[in-house]
Amino acid sequence: MSETDIRIDIRNLVVDYGDVRAVDDVSLSVGRGELVTLLGPSGCGKTTTLRSVAGLEDPTGGSIALNGTLVYSAPERRNTPAEKRGVSMVFQSYAIWPHMTVFDNVAYGLRVRRMSANDIRSNVMRVLDLVQMRNFADRPASRLSGGQQQRVAVARAIAFSPEVLLFDEPLSNLDAKLRVSMRVELRELQKGLGITALYVTHDQEEALAISDRVIVMNAGRIEQIGTPEDIYRHPRTLFVADFVGNANVIQGQARGAPVGGEVNFVTVGGPVLRAAAGHAQAKGDAAALQAAYVDIFAPGRTDVPNATPGTIHRCMFHGDFIQYVVDWPCGQLLVRRPPTNRFAEGSAVTVSFAPEHCVVL
Amino acid sequence: MNTAVERRGPDRRLGRFLVVPGILATIGLLVIYPVFFLVTESLNVGVSGTFPPEDIGFGNYQDMVSDTQVLWNTAFVAVLATVMAIGFGLLLAWILTRTAIPGRRRLERLMELPYYMTPLVGALAWGVIAAPKTGLANQLGRLLGANGNFLNIYSAWGIAWVMALFEGTVAFVMISAAMKSMDPSMEESARVLGAGKFRVALTVTLPMILPGIVSATIFVFAEMLSAFAAAFVLGIPSRFIVITTVIWQSTSAYPPEYGRAAAMGLCLFVVLAVAIGLARLVLRKGSYATITGKAFRPRPMRLGARAWPMVTVCWAYLTLAVFLPMAALLMTSFQKFATVIVGDMRFTLDNYASVFRQGAVASALTNSFVLGLGVATVGSLLVGVLTWVIFRARVPARSLVEYVVMFPQAVPRLVFGLGLLWAWLWIGQVLPFTLYGTLWILGLAYLTVLLPLGVRTLAGVVLQIDKSLEECARVCGASWSHQMRTVTLPLMRPGIAAAWLLIFISSVRELGASLFLMGPHSKVIGPAIVDAWLTASSELSAAMALVQTGVVFVAVIFLLRVTRRYSGEPA
Repeated sequence: MSETDIRIDIRNLVVDYGDVRAVDDVSLSVGRGELVTLLGPSGCGKTTTLRSVAGLEDPTGGSIALNGTLVYSAPERRNTPAEKRGVSMVFQSYAIWPHMTVFDNVAYGLRVRRMSANDIRSNVMRVLDLVQMRNFADRPASRLSGGQQQRVAVARAIAFSPEVLLFDEPLSNLDAKLRVSMRVELRELQKGLGITALYVTHDQEEALAISDRVIVMNAGRIEQIGTPEDIYRHPRTLFVADFVGNANVIQGQARGAPVGGEVNFVTVGGPVLRAAAGHAQAKGDAAALQAAYVDIFAPGRTDVPNATPGTIHRCMFHGDFIQYVVDWPCGQLLVRRPPTNRFAEGSAVTVSFAPEHCVVL
Repeated sequence: MNTAVERRGPDRRLGRFLVVPGILATIGLLVIYPVFFLVTESLNVGVSGTFPPEDIGFGNYQDMVSDTQVLWNTAFVAVLATVMAIGFGLLLAWILTRTAIPGRRRLERLMELPYYMTPLVGALAWGVIAAPKTGLANQLGRLLGANGNFLNIYSAWGIAWVMALFEGTVAFVMISAAMKSMDPSMEESARVLGAGKFRVALTVTLPMILPGIVSATIFVFAEMLSAFAAAFVLGIPSRFIVITTVIWQSTSAYPPEYGRAAAMGLCLFVVLAVAIGLARLVLRKGSYATITGKAFRPRPMRLGARAWPMVTVCWAYLTLAVFLPMAALLMTSFQKFATVIVGDMRFTLDNYASVFRQGAVASALTNSFVLGLGVATVGSLLVGVLTWVIFRARVPARSLVEYVVMFPQAVPRLVFGLGLLWAWLWIGQVLPFTLYGTLWILGLAYLTVLLPLGVRTLAGVVLQIDKSLEECARVCGASWSHQMRTVTLPLMRPGIAAAWLLIFISSVRELGASLFLMGPHSKVIGPAIVDAWLTASSELSAAMALVQTGVVFVAVIFLLRVTRRYSGEPA
């Protein structure tokens, strides 16, 4: 993306809470109309980073620019207050004001901006339409279900047409079913309105599904930035491999120079696998293999890549898929297969996977 | 990630840094300055009441320690009353949180009544009921042929009994809070693992609620040590003297022994402060139950027919603490001479006529009412600001503000009044106007001693306001003042209303601090009732006490109505 298209630009951000460094030298940028997710376990600094963009934290160092304007800068001793940044935010708790109606909640940002009553009315109704809450406009906000509060929170956040929208785990308080459908709606809304969004979540599935790019954070630092598929298929660190998807981590050592992007990987358990060489700084002492990329065949198959003998140790039916625990020379291997692909516990099998899916870390 | 980080306060940096010193200076002047005078006076062994003292020494403290009778009396009454109060509290808390008795919810609400009645009114009422010879119960006993003095409330036991009845509610609230904060699944899992009911109670329930009970016991004991009303009303007639009554006597004696009073007051203050600290410590260190801060309602035991003894216990407590005293006062207040012998009854409205017409009494009532309105209004607003600063603002040294604001709760009212008296007497010499002997000084004193009550009431409300509600307003573009106006204050309103009510009630019935601070032209109702009791008649003081209680009840009902309509909740 070109320089002018960058909407959020964070450089070397550091946030300290007393002696604890919550955010440690984080740099990232979000382009116009892009949805970028900060993904990580609790305490990894993702929410602190987001709140720093909103102006709700006092960072220690670095800089933050929104739409090309510096809103925080440690060297310039600048920290524009939240209300002057023009960003909007959806809070984890929704932060719906219980003493107002739905309409008043959504109109808040417009009233602060001193719009005319007519404009306020039409804008509020427009966004309530977008989130399908038009009929609830006059309802006291204290009488809404979780899902409805969620929608009102989103409507309120987009009502004053902010250029940048921040999401702080917006779906984490909904039940599983609603979470999945709201995920689709949020993505539709964001794409449709062309909003630039920074989105925080600890749910890797949500992050993969909703984002243009995912930023995996750990202990205040960025581990990896990439498209969802890139993050899933080519984890660069042990942490990313462990946190995203359901990867098996295989101990061993990469041998020789990569040929056509592949190397030999000598496992601790014995077998020599063909594996993707990984990135240039890879240490080479482990490889990551997503459970969904492993195939299981009847015993004795040799015409498939990385064919290795194994035994089905445990078989768990999940509905959408079956999860197998397979005993193989390198310990236990987690495998996810479609529910049509059945093997009994105890049966001998051959496991197989393409070299490109087994990534040296 | 969700580390508690306070939200941003006013953005003007200078303002931010001036807020705390400003508050500290103001509250410090109100709180610390009187205590400073207490300390100096307690060391004054020269001419009583001169400042600065000409002669300094520890004589006053030595006098206090050598007066073993008073110390013994105080300790005896306090221990006795504490044991009884905790007994009441424990029993009631267990019944009302752990058993399924009919009318439990109503009973739980009714348990607030003794709190609204106050120990002073309770002591008067029990004086009317069980004074030797003239007490209604003793009259009744004589009528039935028993010894006419079979009840004597003018004794250590009587004083302890009245104090325990009224402090029992406090113990009840504290202990039931501990019981409610225990997750019932803790007990259930022990049951599932095979432990019987008794074993569960002994190995799981008791250890979990023990810190709550211990902390309540310490707290109640400290309250008993510094209690004044019951010991005063019931102790003076029989010359049973405790430390608080000595403080009062030595200041009203001639020549006044201010130093002695100050030394005793300070010791009380130290004991109270240590006890409150200890109670908090026990609760914090020792409790596993309160960690989550959630309130649970354990599944209550079904008792069947055995529920009726429990119900009886609850109603018996309420009868002894509220209904019987009220009835006795009511009956007394309408008679010329209080009696239960129907033939001798002479009904009259004179007592009430005196309350409203007799200059001194009527003006005391008016003064108290005006003070209550004023102090409640100023106080609730002040408390609103203070609570927000303590729990929300991002300013340096917030916890110091909390300590200073909460400080007065460790100072017995009587002692605080004493300190304030000298402090303002002395400052009055340099001020161009007089404060002493006016309602202003009473107002200032009330405000100071009632701040902790207000802050405690509001703290819960403020802490419950999700920080993101305020943050969201800022992100939506609202300035700090706009956010305060549109979000924070509206959300705090029910809490501020509750604080207003509590401060109003406490002002109207204030006794300890008022005793020293009221002047001939600024009488208030609490001390006036005591005056009437000691110098006029029990009939008149009964009428006064009832009028005072009536004002409090009307205020409670009125405010409940208003807040209910306001919040639109069908509470």
